[in-house]
Amino acid sequence: MSQILTPDRPPIPVTVLTGYLGAGKTTLLNRILTENHGKKFAVVINEFGELGVDNDLVVDADEEVFEMNNGCICCTVRGDLIRILSGLMQRPGKLDGIIVETTGLADPAPVAQTFFVDEDVKRATKLDAIVTVVDAKNLLARLADSKEAAEQLAFADLIVLNKMDLVTPEEADAVEARIRTVNPWAQLIRSEKSRVPLDQVIGRDAFNLARILEHEPDFLSGEDTHTHDDEIQSLSFETDRPIDPEKFNAWISDLLATKGQDLLRTKGILAYAGEDRRFAFQAVHMIADGDFISPWKQGEPRHSKIVFIGRDLNRPRLRRGFEGCAA
Amino acid sequence: MGTTLNDADALLQTRGTSQSLGAWVMAVAFCRTGKTLAFALGDGSLRIAEVATPEAEWRNVPVHQGTTRAVVADCTDGYLTGGDDGRLVHIAPEGEASELAGFGAMKWVENLAAHPAGVRLAAVGRAVHVLDGKGDRLKSLMHPSTVTGVALDAKGKRIVASHYNGASLWYVAAKEDKPRLLEWKGSHIGIAIHPEGTHVVTAMQEAALHGWRLEDGQHMRMSGYPGKTRSMGFTQSGRWLATAGSEAIVLWPFFGGGPMGKAPTELAGGDDVLVSRVACHPKHDVVAAGFSDGLVLMAEVSSGKIVPVAAPGRGAISALAWNPAGSHLAFGTEQGFCGVVNLSRQ
Repeated sequence: MSQILTPDRPPIPVTVLTGYLGAGKTTLLNRILTENHGKKFAVVINEFGELGVDNDLVVDADEEVFEMNNGCICCTVRGDLIRILSGLMQRPGKLDGIIVETTGLADPAPVAQTFFVDEDVKRATKLDAIVTVVDAKNLLARLADSKEAAEQLAFADLIVLNKMDLVTPEEADAVEARIRTVNPWAQLIRSEKSRVPLDQVIGRDAFNLARILEHEPDFLSGEDTHTHDDEIQSLSFETDRPIDPEKFNAWISDLLATKGQDLLRTKGILAYAGEDRRFAFQAVHMIADGDFISPWKQGEPRHSKIVFIGRDLNRPRLRRGFEGCAA
Repeated sequence: MGTTLNDADALLQTRGTSQSLGAWVMAVAFCRTGKTLAFALGDGSLRIAEVATPEAEWRNVPVHQGTTRAVVADCTDGYLTGGDDGRLVHIAPEGEASELAGFGAMKWVENLAAHPAGVRLAAVGRAVHVLDGKGDRLKSLMHPSTVTGVALDAKGKRIVASHYNGASLWYVAAKEDKPRLLEWKGSHIGIAIHPEGTHVVTAMQEAALHGWRLEDGQHMRMSGYPGKTRSMGFTQSGRWLATAGSEAIVLWPFFGGGPMGKAPTELAGGDDVLVSRVACHPKHDVVAAGFSDGLVLMAEVSSGKIVPVAAPGRGAISALAWNPAGSHLAFGTEQGFCGVVNLSRQ
């Protein structure tokens, strides 16, 4: 029976690649497809004409965003992705990863939500990282004239600050500082012509919340940065007191239901009272997912921490809410 | 292999033939003459077996780049296949391949239908391409979003296609192609039409079915499934719609005013394992079911009698079909295990 395949293959990591038109996504994709890295990646793209590669590992998608009939007004998923990701699992041989490119103007939420909502996608794949490629030269202009540019930054686990050859070091620092006001937690890599080590982009396990939340950006723990109502901002709260799971569930469910449209991403690592394992929580708009992960280390302080990236966030109210979850 | 001759596997062991083909079985079909059957595999091949001598070597026909997404019996003989390479191919029973259409690389051809009257359908993206028996493309019917399922009515005259926010109903021979839109909010992922053409039913992303009675457009909502319904079909009599997606074969009654306001009949339930495929017998109210643990069985609707065909343990059933005479049942699994069982009186 040597031909029988392994029944349950480990989930295949999926990298979501976002970024404005012209930022360098296609260059990066072409490198992933043509470089001799010894790995097998499937690529789901939307604008095939730009890619210089023709093989059956490239799948042409029609970015079809569907509403789910599950009572969440902003619960949207990518119907085409559900079909394609399930379909790729039916091919023989192991894939090292799948890269999903979104169009320049795309809202990343439906892509991310697809990984929480669909049973087949959940079984076969895991969201590894949302990678946003931005153009150091033009990012500030894009942020000024479009809402999507900031959303793509807000969703990112990794930001590739590309076209560094076109800006001065001072300009680059200014762009980076601006990025940090939107998303202080994402890892940031500077590059020219999308030249970044591929292992930094793919198979990073960046959605691994514990790691992301471990390094708290210094400038964020202080006071509010000034923002306009429609600007994306980030807040984080920590507590040393153990969390009561029931109180937390009640609070977060209500918060996501009432405020989910403004909350782009919510992530948390929680120390539940009487529980040795850490609880990892995350949400995209109203769609939430949580699971126990590795135990707290011996002697490690059991801080619970929650991070919000979104619009129109009320810091005192969110703080009171989170602190009210203490056991 | 170490499978013991246990009760559940008795029919496969004593009256069947099986092979492990090492790739996901996407679909299985018998051709209309009933002389051969073909398994479509995840590795892009089609494997053809003789019904009379299934123990003889199966023809291995490499057809598609990537995966052979679908196989159905073609209009008169042989098969129609679609693949990841955007091609629609006719395969003769002897294995000779002839391309009927190419819809562009990287476009998956996942949903097919064919009718003896000389109608072939291939859904690619938002289009349903209609071809005649000679292979000429008659028309391409456009939909508002990707087509996720197609079916022809029993006469081969009407086409139904499922998509986002509902289904579309077309006539093959219409001079002017204007669909009747059957609307229901949400993502519809598969479709079936009643043998008498009276009802259309779709499966939905939200693990429920939706239906329309065509005479008055009345809606039917059939919910309560723990999983998505990836497989469904009407019994030959038209009395029952057999569906996968639950721990039992769920049968909705299409008589006596049903299914509106009627509870479904559930057969072969009991374990926590979901039905992954159903296939209705071509002559009797008998339903074959495959489960996600690999069990295959038959159930007689009127008596509820269950007969096991193949034991669990070789992968989730991903393909299941009867031959036109109803004497042979074929199945395949996600792990590449394929079987065909002769159930005729011996």
